[in-house]
Amino acid sequence: MRGKVIALGALLLAVPSFAHHGGTTLYDTSKEITEEATVSEFQWSNPHVEIGLDAKDANGKVKHWLLEAPSPPVLVNLGWNRKSLQAGDVVKVTFNPAKSGTSVGSLLKVVKGDGSELVGHTKGF
Amino acid sequence: MRERMRYRFCLRAAGLLGILVFASGCSGSRAQAPSSGPPDLSGIWLGKAIQSLSPSDPMAKKPGVEGDIPYTPWALARMKSERPATGPHATLENTTDPALKYADPDGYPRASIHPMKFKIVQTKDSIFQLWEYNKSWREIALNRPHSEVPDISWFGESVGKWEGDTLVVDSIGFKDSTWLDPIGHPHTEDLHIVERIRRTDPETLVFNFTFDDPKAYTKPWEGQLTFKLKNDGIMTETIYTISDELSFRQRFLNEKPPLPIRPSN
Repeated sequence: MRGKVIALGALLLAVPSFAHHGGTTLYDTSKEITEEATVSEFQWSNPHVEIGLDAKDANGKVKHWLLEAPSPPVLVNLGWNRKSLQAGDVVKVTFNPAKSGTSVGSLLKVVKGDGSELVGHTKGF
Repeated sequence: MRERMRYRFCLRAAGLLGILVFASGCSGSRAQAPSSGPPDLSGIWLGKAIQSLSPSDPMAKKPGVEGDIPYTPWALARMKSERPATGPHATLENTTDPALKYADPDGYPRASIHPMKFKIVQTKDSIFQLWEYNKSWREIALNRPHSEVPDISWFGESVGKWEGDTLVVDSIGFKDSTWLDPIGHPHTEDLHIVERIRRTDPETLVFNFTFDDPKAYTKPWEGQLTFKLKNDGIMTETIYTISDELSFRQRFLNEKPPLPIRPSN
């Protein structure tokens, strides 16, 4: 499904919390992309949790995305665990894309097939 | 007759003394805690993602020119030369952040500046602070002086005592390669930190810091960190390793690893 790009400009609310790998430098936080996609991998890893996704565009062509999420302790506080996603899950994800145009991004949220939502960023309490 | 007067005087004096002792006891219990012991700081506490200990610039929008940090020329030059792990110098090659570049321990108080948790374990003689991040910890030894010759260490040597409802912690002996915070405020081995730690309400723990380091700062300056109770019983391991970092960079930034990466099973 074609990604939906939303320019948020100065009203951006979702701020990367612990993006020591670049944050606003690596990712375009003025843009959000939302994709319906199939999870291809879910790495409960340090320094950041990694999520691989396959999304089909309007022509049925598959595009692979690799998204970073915060580290496990931060996600645990947001209600995640190492089995929150599994390969094969069909989800709707929202993320900030890389400024470079490569198919990586910084996760903002995931809506699972059952409608439950997992947030991918926090600044702490 | 004289004996009776002396007896009455003693009774009145004892009564007055009793009132004073009682009043003192009441005052003390208000200032300290409802129970007879020191306040209970134990529990799991959640931190916040900030970049700087500067009270006026917590997200480090103007490092080096905050206005509330009294740099010496040495410290200002050092601050300006640092390349934190956020912003335009975030690559592993460019950054000077020792915690990222070399996987050094955060040291203190940087260890507390994460949107993660730490646990306080409180005993009669010591208070232990156990961080999720890098599974690190420090001990605050109560009611004893500093060592005669403290080691120089990542987390320093901390001793503490109760002053009413406040835990006052005195720390020295910090390794000078650590940063005070993620933006890179420097210090020397002469750093002396005094903390006043208080549970301002059942859900909130406040650390007020005074940083005294004459070679780095022309006068003592103050910072504050606040934590919220998150007694979910969960302490999650997260350890920063060079191999994990290189793997991440290879995948997300297309950076070629300069070292072999730990193979996955």
